[in-house]
Amino acid sequence: MLKIENLTKKYGDKKAVDSLSLHIEKGEICGFIGHNGAGKSTTIKACCGILNFDEGEIYVDGISVKKEPLKCKSMIAYIPDNPDLYEFMTGIQFLNFIADIFGVSAEARQERINKYATDFSILKNLAQPISSYSHGMKQKLAIISALIHEPKLIIMDEPFVGLDPKASHRLKEIMREMCDKGAAIFFSTHVLEVAEKLCDKIAIIKNGQLIRTGEVEALVGDTSLENVFLELEEEK
Amino acid sequence: MTKALLKKQILEVFSWLYVNRKSGKRRQGSGLIGYVLLYVIVFGYLGVTFYFLADTMGDAFISMGFGWLYLTIFSLIAIVFGVLGSVFNTYASLYRGKDNDFLLSMPIPPSKILFARLCGVYAMGLMYELVVMIPAVIKYLTVARVGVLGVVFTILIPFVLSLFVLTLSCVLGYAVAFFSSKLKNKNFVMVGLALVFIVGYFFLYTKVVNYLMDIMTDPSNVAGKIKNVLFPFYHMGLAAEGKILSMGIFTGIFIALFAITWFVLAHNFMKLATTEKGEKKKEYKEKKAKAAGYGSALLRKEFKRFIGSPTYMLNCGIGCILTVIAAVALMIKKDTVVEFTKLLAGAEGVMVLIGVAAICIIASTNYITAPSVSLEGKNIWLLQSLPVDAKDVLMAKLKLHLLLSGIPTLILSFAIIAVLGPSLMGSVLIVLSALIFVCLSAVWGLFLGLKMPNLKWTSEVVPIKQSMPVLLALFGGWAIVLAFGGVFYLLRDTLFEYPLLYLGFVDIVSAALSVVLFCWIRKKGAKIFAEL
Repeated sequence: MLKIENLTKKYGDKKAVDSLSLHIEKGEICGFIGHNGAGKSTTIKACCGILNFDEGEIYVDGISVKKEPLKCKSMIAYIPDNPDLYEFMTGIQFLNFIADIFGVSAEARQERINKYATDFSILKNLAQPISSYSHGMKQKLAIISALIHEPKLIIMDEPFVGLDPKASHRLKEIMREMCDKGAAIFFSTHVLEVAEKLCDKIAIIKNGQLIRTGEVEALVGDTSLENVFLELEEEK
Repeated sequence: MTKALLKKQILEVFSWLYVNRKSGKRRQGSGLIGYVLLYVIVFGYLGVTFYFLADTMGDAFISMGFGWLYLTIFSLIAIVFGVLGSVFNTYASLYRGKDNDFLLSMPIPPSKILFARLCGVYAMGLMYELVVMIPAVIKYLTVARVGVLGVVFTILIPFVLSLFVLTLSCVLGYAVAFFSSKLKNKNFVMVGLALVFIVGYFFLYTKVVNYLMDIMTDPSNVAGKIKNVLFPFYHMGLAAEGKILSMGIFTGIFIALFAITWFVLAHNFMKLATTEKGEKKKEYKEKKAKAAGYGSALLRKEFKRFIGSPTYMLNCGIGCILTVIAAVALMIKKDTVVEFTKLLAGAEGVMVLIGVAAICIIASTNYITAPSVSLEGKNIWLLQSLPVDAKDVLMAKLKLHLLLSGIPTLILSFAIIAVLGPSLMGSVLIVLSALIFVCLSAVWGLFLGLKMPNLKWTSEVVPIKQSMPVLLALFGGWAIVLAFGGVFYLLRDTLFEYPLLYLGFVDIVSAALSVVLFCWIRKKGAKIFAEL
């Protein structure tokens, strides 16, 4: 579903991402781990078509992000680490805006908004302006807006930050449900425990380079992901 | 503790002077000196203007024994100036202080916090008030023959007066805070209030000269009426002559008024500072969802952005309302305009040109597209990550401008046609020219917005009021009108016979320019937007 081939992104002379290659199959949840400034957000933004890159290619379901960005974007949902949403809209206006952009029918959007807004305990707040929302509520709204068009690929940057335990738990369930239906999820996180329990695959990035990737069981073995991560950090 | 609080408050109140609002960084060196100089020039210019007014009135009033009336008039102007300058600061610092929670969490008595905040408001009010009072006092002291006590009291008067400014600012600031927490559709109410203020200002401005003339021709009659109504100011005038009792009455009244305000505020400060003023939260009730097209979703998003900000509406779209007001005023004052047109009898085409120029000048005050790219700000990731073509986003921005500016402009065009009664060709050209100009200003504004985007603002005031695209969009529109008008004037010997032909030529040039800019926006502009 997501194929990153030799991705390189430079900021001036510095390589933020260096020849990174990663494949995520349909139905897979891939956790993206690395220290601050390792290149996680740069990679994620490049995958979503909101950041140009210098070398390499990214394919979403076989379609090049560089050549056909709109086709790719119509299959993707992106949730940034700090979602700045349209504060001049109410929650429901924002969800309808996103649904209109993706051409979601009236019936389908009504059903999904009700379902997810109830799941995330935000239904009653949808008539309020987004400017009055807390960080967590904005995060929940961003997640609902990402799910409203049933994307094939969900890309998230630190999706659990700001979520209350119940919402966090529900999001994990939804992620698994989406993947069971054939979607793929690629998300960054600093919470290694979540990555270990939730993901099928883990990719560890350090200084712009992918230093380890593989299935969770194979990667972790008898130890914990935290130990693996710390060992790798010390090694290089 | 009080000293530290006062220092913090004064730094906060005057932060606009040494902190760059665009970058959030501290101004230093030549930047700071230049900025201070700019304000010195602006305040100096206002001071000189008030001095000329004082010079005109001072000699006559003081020599006739109406020195108190002279000081009263300037005090009232100073109060208006001071209150307008400090009322919003009162609202922000006293009733909506962002650091209330922080300060209240420390072992500081609330009365000290209140005192420091009021000192900040006092300083702000005094600054504005002195712009009026310094010239007035200088003139007074150079003309009036007062003793040492009179000089001392005259110098003290502005400082006592500022207590009254502070009292009024506290009361009005509370009203602003109260209404802003209670009102629904705040944005429209604020735009409405601003419009009422603008209309009221122009009304007063036109009337004030008449009032001053009345006072100057028959001061004793006016003085007799004012003496009783504004007796504290009467005593202020007498205090300036050195009368101790009057100084006591004047100071006593203003101190008493402030003491009442202090008493009320001190007893309610904790409540004011700690009560959540949020509106009653509206609960979502499920309605049948409606799906809309992709284009209409983008247009609606632009419209909501526009009506979601009173600053945006007032600064970039005020012309939409002014155009309709102009059309109505034109119909009401039709006879006066028709009388004026008789001066140009036989030059119907020139009247059409003047009418079109008037429409264009008013339409130039709409520059909705100019800040629209920068206004995406931190939200830009949304449009960039959605399956939306940058071209379509830009077209939605253009459409909003064309709709909001085009319809009122059409109304004004028809009003001008109804009043001037031009030929068919003249009528067609008025409508055509107006619409072409609206198109030109829309694409011109968007072109500027794309050429000079700024997504890193922290306050939307920066792209809306303090950006180069906005400045160039407003003055650029006027410059175009002036340029075409200038050409007509310079070649008047030839063109006076063919004004409609000239207007047709202007339309062709404007339309061609619009098409060029439109094509640029769709190709290069869309690329720039996608890569922002």
